[in-house]
Amino acid sequence: MRAAATVSSVGRLAGGPSLTRAAAVLGGATLLLTAVLVGAVAIGSVGVGLGETAAILGRRLLGLPLAETWAPAAETIIFELRLPRVLTAMLVGGGLAMAGTVFQALLRNPLADPYIIGTAAGASLGAVTGIVAPLLLPVLAIGAGTAWLGIGLVQALAFAGGLGTVLLVYAVARAHGRVPVVTLLLTGYAVSSVLAAGVALLMFASGRALGAVFSWLMGSLAGASWPALGFAAPLLGLSFALLLPRWRSLNLLLLGDSAAANLGLDVEREKLILTMLATLATSAAVAVSGTIGFVGLVVPHLLRLAIGPDHRLLLPASVLVGAALLALADLGARVLGGVPVGIVTALLGAPFFLYLLRRSRGTATVAAA
Amino acid sequence: MSPPLLELAGARYAYPLQGGGRRPVLSDVTLAVQRGELVALLGPNGSGKTTLLRLLTGALRPDAGEVRFDGRAAHAWRRDALARRVAVLPQQLELPEGFRVAELVAMGRTPHARALFGSSADDERAVERALLDADALDLAQRPAGELSGGERQRVLVAMALAQEPELLLLDEPTLHLDLAHQVSLLSTIRRLRGQRGLTVLAVLHDLNLAAAFAPRLIVLSGGSVAADGAAATVLQSALVRRVFGVEVAEAFTAAGGRHLALAGMERAVSPPAAERA
Amino acid sequence: MAPRLRASLLVPLLALALLLAACRVGSTPSVQPSFTPASPSATATTVASFPLTLTDDAGRAVTIPAEPQRIVSLAPSNTEIACALEACDRLVGVNDFRDSLPDDVLATLAQVPDVATFSGVDREKLVAQQPDLVLAAGNELTPSADIAALADLGLPVLVLYPETLDEVYADIELVGRAIGQDEGAASLVDGMKADVVALTDRVAGSSAPRTFYEVGVYEGVIYTAGEDSFLASLIGLAGGEPITGDAVTTAIQLEDLVAADPELILLGDAAYDPSITPDAVAARPGWEGMAAVTGGRVVPMPEDLLITRPGPRITEGLEILARAIHPEAFD
Repeated sequence: MRAAATVSSVGRLAGGPSLTRAAAVLGGATLLLTAVLVGAVAIGSVGVGLGETAAILGRRLLGLPLAETWAPAAETIIFELRLPRVLTAMLVGGGLAMAGTVFQALLRNPLADPYIIGTAAGASLGAVTGIVAPLLLPVLAIGAGTAWLGIGLVQALAFAGGLGTVLLVYAVARAHGRVPVVTLLLTGYAVSSVLAAGVALLMFASGRALGAVFSWLMGSLAGASWPALGFAAPLLGLSFALLLPRWRSLNLLLLGDSAAANLGLDVEREKLILTMLATLATSAAVAVSGTIGFVGLVVPHLLRLAIGPDHRLLLPASVLVGAALLALADLGARVLGGVPVGIVTALLGAPFFLYLLRRSRGTATVAAA
Repeated sequence: MSPPLLELAGARYAYPLQGGGRRPVLSDVTLAVQRGELVALLGPNGSGKTTLLRLLTGALRPDAGEVRFDGRAAHAWRRDALARRVAVLPQQLELPEGFRVAELVAMGRTPHARALFGSSADDERAVERALLDADALDLAQRPAGELSGGERQRVLVAMALAQEPELLLLDEPTLHLDLAHQVSLLSTIRRLRGQRGLTVLAVLHDLNLAAAFAPRLIVLSGGSVAADGAAATVLQSALVRRVFGVEVAEAFTAAGGRHLALAGMERAVSPPAAERA
Repeated sequence: MAPRLRASLLVPLLALALLLAACRVGSTPSVQPSFTPASPSATATTVASFPLTLTDDAGRAVTIPAEPQRIVSLAPSNTEIACALEACDRLVGVNDFRDSLPDDVLATLAQVPDVATFSGVDREKLVAQQPDLVLAAGNELTPSADIAALADLGLPVLVLYPETLDEVYADIELVGRAIGQDEGAASLVDGMKADVVALTDRVAGSSAPRTFYEVGVYEGVIYTAGEDSFLASLIGLAGGEPITGDAVTTAIQLEDLVAADPELILLGDAAYDPSITPDAVAARPGWEGMAAVTGGRVVPMPEDLLITRPGPRITEGLEILARAIHPEAFD
């Protein structure tokens, strides 16, 4: 009898991922993240024992009354160098992966990444200006080392550049109160091209700082510190807190604008909110890490292959997995002697993604047609 | 006395054109739909049927005149408040890959959603009932990408039902269906109207199907209402000739319904007024 | 100091180098730090009053709590300064670029780990050495992010970036004060000044040839001494009239070089690349008409690092320059 069948499947009929499935996915991702956290803090160019690492963290983070059997240098390495760097990597990786997920759904474009509508170009111009300007105008050099709100000139300009560029692109692309996706993409491309020319010009004049510029453009977590983390964490935390509950909007946008509107979404307003929150996350991430590629593009695809397109699960999972992957990639970068992490993500991540793509040929990898 | 559920009074709308200027679509539409009515909206291509639906959902705002839902201007409603009372069944919908049918139907609950992440018992009941009422229960666990045309249409009906609307707007829902599925869909809609007390306004193409489906027909032509009334009074060959520019013969079905038959290809007359304009 | 743009100007090369560095590091064992305190140096000749606060070349106030016993040098020039001030045995970490360091310095540093490369500082290794003073270089030779990070850890980081001979003297004296070797620094500087006077006296009176110092040529872009740069001033001191490039990029356009018509071309890059010869220069399109080329005065430099490294041996570099510009004065 139909009614009996109905009753027995009530839990799943509501359409969401079942509670156990969600718990399995998010629990697994959290476990992965924890394992990466421990591993990434324990491993570095200087060997500090695992037990010692745990003891240092226990004392500093949990306030455990452990005797200091280790050298002060070991504590500095674990607590002042590695831990803020690993946490920054996680925050940045989570932010980029989440922003990538949002943009792929918002723009219904499988090639969308967090940088697609100008964030990267704007942040790059800001950061490179911050790196090069003190060399050209020595008066700035005096202040370049001083931190403002926990960040330096480079981070401040990168953040402002990313956010400002997207605001500009959005304003330019707006017509009749609407922002068509294609116009937004093309405007972002055009504005990015102009800014990229500015970056190239500054690079030409950068002299010795070219190494620093290059490292920033490739994306590097070498600048990570507690103060920088203190700047990025609240911004990224805010964007997580405001974006994760908007999973319904993202799902609806996959149905198309008019269907989403008929289901009660104020489409243009929601698109603006989503764009700005994702850009806030991206700009904060980029400010402390440079333009790390690949994570924001591929983690959403990878997870869609693994757990499906429902943003209720996809959004938090992309935060967790993006965090774990970038921390892992940065561990690789550190072990490889300070290579910019962006090189590692592209060098190792892209082939892995290709492998996954080939294995899953025929199944959907795209947010929507 | 409560106002009609739907009301248009002297509604006018013209689309803005890219090079500037505007293309008028609705010049002066006045009509009202009462609660519980089942109405089919007919008219040739370009007569303004879809525009009228978009005015009713508040997606467009009339240049002049009034478009009211439950006594209040449609565009003045909050989108989610309107979506709790009005559902739209589109011609077709590109169903995003990777979702199961139950997940898609649950999206219909969005305007009612309260919890940040979870779904309420109400939501689960509504989804289940929607699947059941739309004859889509057996599709619940199927991937949305693997459905046939008829199955997709059932899923869309279930999505609309999950909204638990008072008013169901149908935008040529039979366009991509064969005859059997057309009949099946429309009979489902009629049944649902009875079960759920829905008010239904359906844009349809096929005059005979519309006549069999709805007790009241409204015909749009050239941006205004050309006829509005019971099928028997509306489906006159003179009206069809005037509005569609096609010569038809009137007939009666065995059940006593009025029926129109195409008189022949060569008898077609000049294109309708709307397309000449 | 002439900006050495060789490796850093070419992004692809840099990327390649980074990859090579990555491969190389795989074979480097992770250093287990010996957390044993260093024995206090017995070589301190002056007892300066610590703690003291100094202002470095980046304008930063640096406080040094006690006479440093564990010093990290992040640039070869700083290493040479420290060693010339008899603090070589206090160095506990250096830059991995050890080319052209004096032999005795190399021997002393044989067991001292590298804590920095041209691309950056390995902060963990540096911290593991438990330094009490870090000698960094300015103008991104030590990345400013590293300077900021190390300073944030509470390490005294002294940034040295001399851009004239006088600033080299000042920096030697600065380091002298920082490590309690004020007198040693004063006598070192006095000796250098005397050497410079002797050299400039020697070339005085000769006419100054228009001198072009080639730092490198990459993809058609010619790099030389920048306008008002350290290298340009050294050429002037050595009795030449420097032909300079842009102050920022240190590049000079070929047509500007042709118009400047150098009477003497010094091939600094020949010290690294044996394929750069006077014949090769003469064969370059556009170069054949320059006075230096037609007059046979294109000179490969035997040494470039001594000239471009702003350390205590800069006077030796000055002599090499003077000999190349005025060989007749040294006959």
